[in-house]
Amino acid sequence: MFRTLSRRTLTGVAALAAAGLALTGCGGGGGEPAAVDTEEQITLNYTFWGNDDRAARYDEAITAFEEKYPNITINDTFTDYPSYWEKRQTEAAGGGLPDVMQFDYTYLRQYGDNGLLLNLEEYFGNGITTDAIDESLLSTGKLEDGTFAIPTGYSAWSVFQNPGLLAEAGVEPYAGGTSWEEYDTYMASVTDASGGTVYGGTDTTQRIQDLELKLRQDGRQLFTDEGELNFTQEELAEHWQEGQANRDKVTVPQSKLEEINPVSGFGGNLTTSEMSWSNFLGGYLGDSGAEEITIVAPPTSNPDEKDLYRKVGLMQAASSSTEHPEAAAAFVDFLINSPEVGGIFGATLGIPASETQLEGANLEGPDKAVQDYLDSIADRLGEAPAAPVAGFGAIEQTFWDLGKSIGLGTVTPEEAAQQFFDEAAVTLGS
Amino acid sequence: MTTDSAHAPATDRSADSGAHPAGSRRAGASRPRRSRNRDSLAGYIFLSPWLLGFIGLTLGPMLASLYLAFTDYNLFTAPEWTGLENLGRMAEDEKFWGSVRITLIYVLVGTPIKLAAALAVAMLLNYKAKGTGFFRSAFYAPSLIGASVSIAIVWRAMFSTDGPVDGTLNLFGINLGGWIGNPSLIMPMMILLAVWQFGAPMVIFLAGLKGVPAELYEAASVDGAKAWRKFLSVTVPMLSPVIFFNLLLEMINAFQVFASAYIIGSGTGGPGGATNFYTVYLYTRAFANNQMGYASAMAWVLLLAVGVLAFILFRTSRSWVHYAGDSK
Repeated sequence: MFRTLSRRTLTGVAALAAAGLALTGCGGGGGEPAAVDTEEQITLNYTFWGNDDRAARYDEAITAFEEKYPNITINDTFTDYPSYWEKRQTEAAGGGLPDVMQFDYTYLRQYGDNGLLLNLEEYFGNGITTDAIDESLLSTGKLEDGTFAIPTGYSAWSVFQNPGLLAEAGVEPYAGGTSWEEYDTYMASVTDASGGTVYGGTDTTQRIQDLELKLRQDGRQLFTDEGELNFTQEELAEHWQEGQANRDKVTVPQSKLEEINPVSGFGGNLTTSEMSWSNFLGGYLGDSGAEEITIVAPPTSNPDEKDLYRKVGLMQAASSSTEHPEAAAAFVDFLINSPEVGGIFGATLGIPASETQLEGANLEGPDKAVQDYLDSIADRLGEAPAAPVAGFGAIEQTFWDLGKSIGLGTVTPEEAAQQFFDEAAVTLGS
Repeated sequence: MTTDSAHAPATDRSADSGAHPAGSRRAGASRPRRSRNRDSLAGYIFLSPWLLGFIGLTLGPMLASLYLAFTDYNLFTAPEWTGLENLGRMAEDEKFWGSVRITLIYVLVGTPIKLAAALAVAMLLNYKAKGTGFFRSAFYAPSLIGASVSIAIVWRAMFSTDGPVDGTLNLFGINLGGWIGNPSLIMPMMILLAVWQFGAPMVIFLAGLKGVPAELYEAASVDGAKAWRKFLSVTVPMLSPVIFFNLLLEMINAFQVFASAYIIGSGTGGPGGATNFYTVYLYTRAFANNQMGYASAMAWVLLLAVGVLAFILFRTSRSWVHYAGDSK
């Protein structure tokens, strides 16, 4: 057969192969349309990001909901945070968002302003009870045209520690709320004591929240009121340079983190501490398998400044294209208000925003620790920044990717700062 | 083809014969034309599932992306015509050029190694020996599963710190650490993963080798040619159309590497942009950064670039590809 292979055949094959190039998108991700309503049997699609720990809790909550509403079935799927938004983006473009979604404050404006989310305000007092929800938290889901998402709760930036690993290394835990130098010393002593098997922490300049914290300790914000970056390229380069000493010999090498991604260094038991949002506690317990995880205040360069804030993170939202808006609203209400759900999730979706759910949560153990932590930093809690600008999600991810590249040594802080500003100009400019 | 020529006279006759009484046997003479129409209709009907798929799933989206390539489109609001701005941005985009460089290295280094491996194993398997059937299947298997997500995950684990590969190398005193988190080792690993899937070109080479007439080798032996000389002067020229075919297909395939790079690089082109292949970057632009217009422009640039490369390959092929059927 191949002896008679002609030039013409080959041209044809090449043309076909070239036409088959991945021009038509990369497949995957297409959302299923909502099930047809037959004899009141309703199926809702629900999706969230998280890990196995969160998935198990959602399974429990969904079972409870389905017991309460026997005619509604919830189909749930989950993935990690970055791919979660890639999927939603595709679905948004194709008009196939799931009926109900775990949502993020970061993306609220982008989706809400473009008419992709159901206006939940239409169901207030008529499917969704708002009486028990803290007014200042409820209003975070409000845009010009209505309320498009309801926060599950709030959290604050914090330092997590693993007492088990600390005991092995024979190092005293970090006390919290001290100067940055003290935190650096703590991290270095862990890394030294363990001889390189366990590290004191992760690069504290890698994420945009790290920069935000430092800016707020100087009485500044990440963004101006007009939604523009409130720092210069030089300041950003300097911020990343500050982490160099730690990256060189104290914090966990980025190459090790790449291998365990999407689990973090702390979740993977490679570090004794990590900074993150306080609601990560449940996830960390699940990922690391540690018996106990403690939570203390981040270091500060200026103890008098109100550098921390109550962050609304997780929210629940519904798609404007859902065929069953009433059922969707009922599910959102259940997830937000039900005491049962409070008991299932504790503080892992933040300290519950709804009073009824908080009572049901009956916080104890690790959840109580989160609550106690938030009480303990009351003096440092300042005003929360304005709702994130459209495109903040992409900017946050770009910042983190560049921070990781610096850790790997593939870009210098100066180059990374340049790339970040180029990228931000495109994202914020359009 | 023989049926076509057999029908031709009948069609001519019926064209001349004009009207015929209804029910006449002569009416049968016009049947070939009708049946040919019916044949082609049936052909189109059988073709229609593919045709609909092609128009709806390939041609339509391709034309849409051609339009989007000249727009600013963030997936949420309507596309805005910006002319050639996307191309201008691409020219200045360092990450874009980085992805071009990575992809070219992958294609230019990976494809020849893969084809060499495929040809070498095909020649081994061409010998008549016990168990060749088993070995053929065994060597072919990786190319069936190699592009899958699960294999990418397995490779991730194999090349991690203290994973099987690192552990084995440590035994020989080579301490490279994990390959996954190391920006300079991830490319060799990606190329290894590609080379490992040499099964498909191997099978085609094998078929080609079976087609080389044994008398040519005999004649070469009579002339005193040794194995290497026979390979260069008989095998390679006789196999050149197949080599060309494999080269073309594998090159085009290599440009489209996505799934393994996406999984191994955690979808962000990590570590440090070392797996930021062209398609991964295109995907990131489209779905993580919401720049569908820019991504569409990238897709078309890729199509054109691959087209030009294929064209160049065809031009050079005239001087080295030997077609048995050609009189020249």
